[in-house]
Amino acid sequence: MRSVNYVQRVSLDFTGTLFPHAICLGDADNDSLNELVVGDTSGKLLIYKNDDSKPWITRTCVGMLTCVAVGDVCNKGKNFVVAVGAEGWFHLFDLTATSANKAESSSQHESLPPEDQRPFFTQHIPANTKVILISDIDGDGRCELVVGYTDRVVRAFRWEEPYEGSEVGSGQLVLLKKWLLEGQVDSLSVNPGVEGLPELMVSQPGCGYAILLCSWTQPAGSPFLPSLIGHSEGPSRDVVLHPTTGRIHNKNVSTHLIGSISKGSKEESSKCGLFALCTLDGTLKLMDSSEQLLWSVQVDHQLFALQKLDVTGDGREEVVACAWDGQTYIIDHNRTVVRFQFDENVNAFCAGQYTCKEGRNSPCLVYVSFNHKIHVYWKVELERMESTNLLRVLERRSGFGEQLAALGVGEWGSNRTLRSLRRLMITNGGGLFCFLLILFVNGLT
Amino acid sequence: MLRDSSSRDSSSRDSFVEDSFSRFPSQSNIYGLCQAGSQELLAATLKGKVVCFRYQELQHKVRPVAKEVQFTYIPVDAEIVSIDAFNKSPPKRGLVVGITFIKDSGDKATPFLNIYCDYEPGSEFNLDSIAQSCLNLELQFTPFQLYHTEVQCADGGSETVFLLSGHDQRIHLYKENASLHQFEEQPVEKLFPELQQLPSNVLWLDVLSVAGGRRLSVFGCQNGCVGLALVDQAGPEVVQSWRVQFDSPISTVLLFPLSRHAAGAEVGRYNLLVTSAIEMAVIYRDVQDRGLSWFTCLSESDQFDAVLCALVLDLDFDGQQEVLLGTYGQELLCYKLQAAPGGGGGGSDSHFQLQWRRSFKSPVLSIIYLDLTGDGVRELAVLTLKGLHILQHSLTGTADLLLERLALRASELAVASELDSHGAPDEPESRAPAEESAAPTSSD
Repeated sequence: MRSVNYVQRVSLDFTGTLFPHAICLGDADNDSLNELVVGDTSGKLLIYKNDDSKPWITRTCVGMLTCVAVGDVCNKGKNFVVAVGAEGWFHLFDLTATSANKAESSSQHESLPPEDQRPFFTQHIPANTKVILISDIDGDGRCELVVGYTDRVVRAFRWEEPYEGSEVGSGQLVLLKKWLLEGQVDSLSVNPGVEGLPELMVSQPGCGYAILLCSWTQPAGSPFLPSLIGHSEGPSRDVVLHPTTGRIHNKNVSTHLIGSISKGSKEESSKCGLFALCTLDGTLKLMDSSEQLLWSVQVDHQLFALQKLDVTGDGREEVVACAWDGQTYIIDHNRTVVRFQFDENVNAFCAGQYTCKEGRNSPCLVYVSFNHKIHVYWKVELERMESTNLLRVLERRSGFGEQLAALGVGEWGSNRTLRSLRRLMITNGGGLFCFLLILFVNGLT
Repeated sequence: MLRDSSSRDSSSRDSFVEDSFSRFPSQSNIYGLCQAGSQELLAATLKGKVVCFRYQELQHKVRPVAKEVQFTYIPVDAEIVSIDAFNKSPPKRGLVVGITFIKDSGDKATPFLNIYCDYEPGSEFNLDSIAQSCLNLELQFTPFQLYHTEVQCADGGSETVFLLSGHDQRIHLYKENASLHQFEEQPVEKLFPELQQLPSNVLWLDVLSVAGGRRLSVFGCQNGCVGLALVDQAGPEVVQSWRVQFDSPISTVLLFPLSRHAAGAEVGRYNLLVTSAIEMAVIYRDVQDRGLSWFTCLSESDQFDAVLCALVLDLDFDGQQEVLLGTYGQELLCYKLQAAPGGGGGGSDSHFQLQWRRSFKSPVLSIIYLDLTGDGVRELAVLTLKGLHILQHSLTGTADLLLERLALRASELAVASELDSHGAPDEPESRAPAEESAAPTSSD
């Protein structure tokens, strides 16, 4: 198995402790560059920008923050930062203006009056939150907020305002639906279904997953009236459980899931989306929404976080899984594995685009250690996933054969070619051409 | 030319891509890496394990493989000091691996040199069977660097021998006894008169054959002394020798010609690189003619802790050699000779400038440049305290450069064939070198 060593990293100061879902990467201030958002157990929300080891912005929330997210939760065409506490306090921050203020004031420290540091909206939602997702789950083009709970419940909310175009502060979250699941929900994700409509997926113990149906999209007059379902029909009608087959799993093992893994082009990715699953006992699977298994990998590390990241820059996202001991697996769609060992135990992990250096987003791996540091590896791109050599690269280049023919070295692979190349090599000082000779001697063609 | 400036931009950056990293169970040291055969590496770790690294072609895929080789007669409590390997000089065949280690059984530490080589026809190059046939020599001194070089024998043939430096202020020579089919220690003075009466323990040794049946040999000592000698191999007889004193232990000495054509074109332009524990690395220029009188310092090379290893190689395929230094400060530094404006490449006012540096996760102990993937482009193997990194030239960039050069070559040939009515591409051999050597250097 190929393994690499990433070196370029920045270490950010972080003194608190956090829940594994209280970290995310996103464009918090709408400047098209991504920030790192972290929430700790004392209710502090920290936003890091660039390679500055001190937080760019600190905000205080109520309660223990269990999950944070960045997204257009209000459907205003701009991102907000959402922080949700275990006690059920939902906090909404608009940091767009902060960016401008910060730039103007030369002081690095908080110069804003205390009232500006408060969230501009808070609401109490049911407590015991665990994981949140901001995404369009019903295909109406507008974002919903989905919250997973420690008591096996998932709730979907929508931001609603009294009238169109009113002040953001006047709106509130409205419960759309509540689902009750059989097992713990460790991840929430959205994946394009076979038809191209988004499907809300949640992970279920034992490398399983469930698709939660958005019954409010049912046409009027259908028997599934939203108000009835939660009570009369029980959870089973709107929860489609998919235990994945294969190896016999510990059916209680904690499982993570991530969907909408890009296949390279928008059209391809929008239908029959790819999603990945991982378990704490080391199983990794890549599947598509028609339930076809693309690959399965078994590792002997305890995988606790699953992310997606395009490390090769070809538009196709690789699956990134991280274990408690820092072992990180990057796996592409063809099951090519690249490993990276982070040298400490990991408290929380996330991967994505972050603007660390050079003023642009680049793929990053973010590890929260137990030593009051967040380590951001900002140069994790790979030229390719697989080891290869120059010959294989050249074979795929157009014009290589023609070049050789133009040089009078004849057909690629013939004996005469060898002689001509030897001559070519002798007459070339540049040193690169000896490769061709070795190539022919080795008979690799 | 526009293209020239862009190619210079790319050459000023580090064009390496890490292809693989193999973590070792225990640390290694500066004597812990060697090439074995054409496409394999051997790396020794402190706790007696030797790892063989190579690329394997499996199911049309190239994959890196690091496998432990079970060398026999290395006890469990042994700590490996140094490793070296060579192919026997023709007409003899076979791979020879030497490993020095210290067996510490509690009360007394005993040093050993194990020499592995297989005489069975067909398995002379098979590492697994070589590892099973061992000659075990007990040493009377603590071993340091194990080095090999080719010497001229009395009968006119040549033979490769091991040179092992020790803490007894001597260098020991191990030569194969053809009749007994085994290696034995022989007096070093007979073949290497320049390596006797050393001022201190030798930490690093380098020998280079030069034109006229001569050789340059250089050693760097623990007390900071560097000794250089020009030796006529026929005698052997010391023609001339030089000494210079540094303030700290010498970590590496390395003899090299500066430009790749220079080996043939400018006979005798050899340079000597000396790195030491606390001082800047120094390059003595044109040592065969000028001795140690003309030198250049590699600025900033003392900024990253001690320089532990060095290598001279053409990294950017321009025909000019670059100097690579690996430091304990976890950096790899690349220096390139910058010609002074108006002056030629070897002019007296040219200097070495830091081109790029690359960080590692742990101290850089040893570097080797060899073709592991079998495509003719060499890879850089970097041994660090934690394991072995393989850096590959960015294949996309190298392929671009190759295609560009091929196109350039094709257009030159087209011009040449227009001038000569013969038009055969094989013909203009005699004047091609001049054109070619002009082409890559035009970017300087």
